[in-house]
Amino acid sequence: MLEFDGLRKSYGENQVLDGVTFAVRPGSMFGFCGSNGAGKTTTMRIAMGLARADDGEVRWHGRPLDQELRARVGYMPEERGLYPKMRVGEQITYFARLHGLDAAAAARASAEWVDRLGLGPRRGEAVEKLSLGNQQRVQLAAALVSRPEVLILDEPFSGLDPIGVDSLADALLGQVRAGVPVVFSSHQLDLVERLCDSVGILARGRMVATGTVDELREREAGRLLRVVVPDAAPSWAAALPGVRVVSEQAGDTLLDLDPVTDDQAVLAAALGTGRVTHFAWQRPTLVELFRGAVAAPTQQEVAA
Amino acid sequence: MSDPRSGIRRPSSAGLVRLVAVREIAARIRDKNFLISSAVILVILLGSIGLQVAFGSGEEATRIGVVGDATDLRPALEAQGEPLGVEVTVVELDDEAAARTAIEDGEVDGALLAGDTADPELLVEQSAGGSMQAVVQQALGQLALADQLAAAGITSLDVPEVAVTALDPDADEDGQRVAFAMIGAAVLYSLLVLFGQFVAQGVVEEKSSRVVELLLATMKPWHLLAGKIVGLGLLGLVQVVLIAVVGVGGALAFDLVDIPGELVGTAVTVVLWFVVGYAFYAVIFAVTASLVSRQEDLNSVLTPTILLLVVAVVIGLQAAAAPDGTLALVTSYVPGVSPLVMPVRQAAGTVAVWEIALSVLIMVAAIALLLRLGGRMYAGALLRTSGKTKIREALQAERV
Repeated sequence: MLEFDGLRKSYGENQVLDGVTFAVRPGSMFGFCGSNGAGKTTTMRIAMGLARADDGEVRWHGRPLDQELRARVGYMPEERGLYPKMRVGEQITYFARLHGLDAAAAARASAEWVDRLGLGPRRGEAVEKLSLGNQQRVQLAAALVSRPEVLILDEPFSGLDPIGVDSLADALLGQVRAGVPVVFSSHQLDLVERLCDSVGILARGRMVATGTVDELREREAGRLLRVVVPDAAPSWAAALPGVRVVSEQAGDTLLDLDPVTDDQAVLAAALGTGRVTHFAWQRPTLVELFRGAVAAPTQQEVAA
Repeated sequence: MSDPRSGIRRPSSAGLVRLVAVREIAARIRDKNFLISSAVILVILLGSIGLQVAFGSGEEATRIGVVGDATDLRPALEAQGEPLGVEVTVVELDDEAAARTAIEDGEVDGALLAGDTADPELLVEQSAGGSMQAVVQQALGQLALADQLAAAGITSLDVPEVAVTALDPDADEDGQRVAFAMIGAAVLYSLLVLFGQFVAQGVVEEKSSRVVELLLATMKPWHLLAGKIVGLGLLGLVQVVLIAVVGVGGALAFDLVDIPGELVGTAVTVVLWFVVGYAFYAVIFAVTASLVSRQEDLNSVLTPTILLLVVAVVIGLQAAAAPDGTLALVTSYVPGVSPLVMPVRQAAGTVAVWEIALSVLIMVAAIALLLRLGGRMYAGALLRTSGKTKIREALQAERV
């Protein structure tokens, strides 16, 4: 397990992180969402030893991440960083060596990743001569070349075209299949929803929601059922046990069901009114969940 | 699946420093600016040796052809040339025709037709310039005198030889010592500024390109600082040694100096003081460079350090003329200034071993202090990749 445990950090008066806690299983992908300035980058920088937490720690396999363990982490910083005048192949080899590969293994791994990410023809060029998309690939290669046990990527998808996004996603899924826990932050929530086994939403320095996307939906949005019954009389559902009518307009009804309420009983009642043209769980998108989560303090937060 | 991390071992501190140093060297020897500046320094050096050879004091030389019996003439001509500072080479020629051809072809400067001892003739192209006529005249005169004396029965003659007493026999050598000292100071200054700038540019490049964040995820700031300084320092050392070898080698090959031992001594001193001076200035350059995030801001923070170097080299140059003056004496112990003054005192004057040891000791102590303080500033400022960092902020900043 990669565990982020109770991270706190303040810069002067500004409390940037206020007890950030979450865990990522090996072989799973964790999407880290939050508005700008929510503390995502600070959390990742603390994990990489680039900022010091006031309190809390990050652990891998139960051991606090220290300089030695960090050599096994692949990292992509938010501000991309490469030597502009260094050649692509040599640069990737250099980072492999810094992570502890010997000269021969580093050269091999570098060549392999250069080819795998489609940088073969650019191997001998200076990084500054590459397009931004290709620079991003070099950055990714620098993170992956050392066969990391853990991947921590800050906004890896930003600035990529759709094809670049797909190839990066493939590369990350490949790492996950090999058992690597991957944490990445992104504003592209559709991408997070598609790729991630679990997500965390950070707001005002706190994790306001963590879990699988499905769990978040249930937890944050409850069990919302939308039933459209054009022939029904108004308030047709008012008397159903364990059901609260959220809204109703010309038969388009939004119902909030108690956890124990049987949705089939609701369907039977609906059929009793005549035609049923729509009957489905309301599935909020991650975007909607995100808006709800970061918009206002949640009950958890208020209670805490 | 076998352990995917087999064969991967976290590099030791020394390993990290070495990796950084090797990268610095590899990046720098491909850098056009470095290659050009190195070439320029060598060209200047070779050029000045060339100038010395061309205009140098070197002795006058003349080639004189002799038609006829040269058995007595050869030693006489050579002996006459010596006090006049003319190196005479005698070439035997068959006849007058051969003599004329030799002069026209420039093989000899003049030809003496000595077949008829009573009426010798000197053939020259245009005029018997310089000392050639004097040499020939004297040689013939002496031979004629000896012949006539012999004819008169006098075979040996007591001629008193002039004894020469020099009032300042070392005047030339002192001048050369001063010259060595000044060249040494100038070379030291140029290389310290050059390599100091390389260090500073490297630090800012890492900050401005943000690669520093990726680097610090795998190493401590001091690994990066040490690797950079050591790598560029080795390159600087190679360069200063190269300059010393080419300079000394050239001067010796063309016989430009009278005191080769002292030239070699000065060259060695310069190389050693480069090491001490470089360590001192490289740390300052690196740390001050870490305060800014863009190459454009670099000059403003480097100016005080470069000024210090300028002051040091000016003092060093004046110390060449007055190696035992109070200013030179005092400043040869001031850290930062001493690397440009002490070698000058060593070259141009006389310095006791303990004085050098004390000066080096003070420098080493200053370097240790700089590393302690500067290392803190460097670590504090490295990750502040926006704008300029104040010294106080850098010292107070959290270090990773």
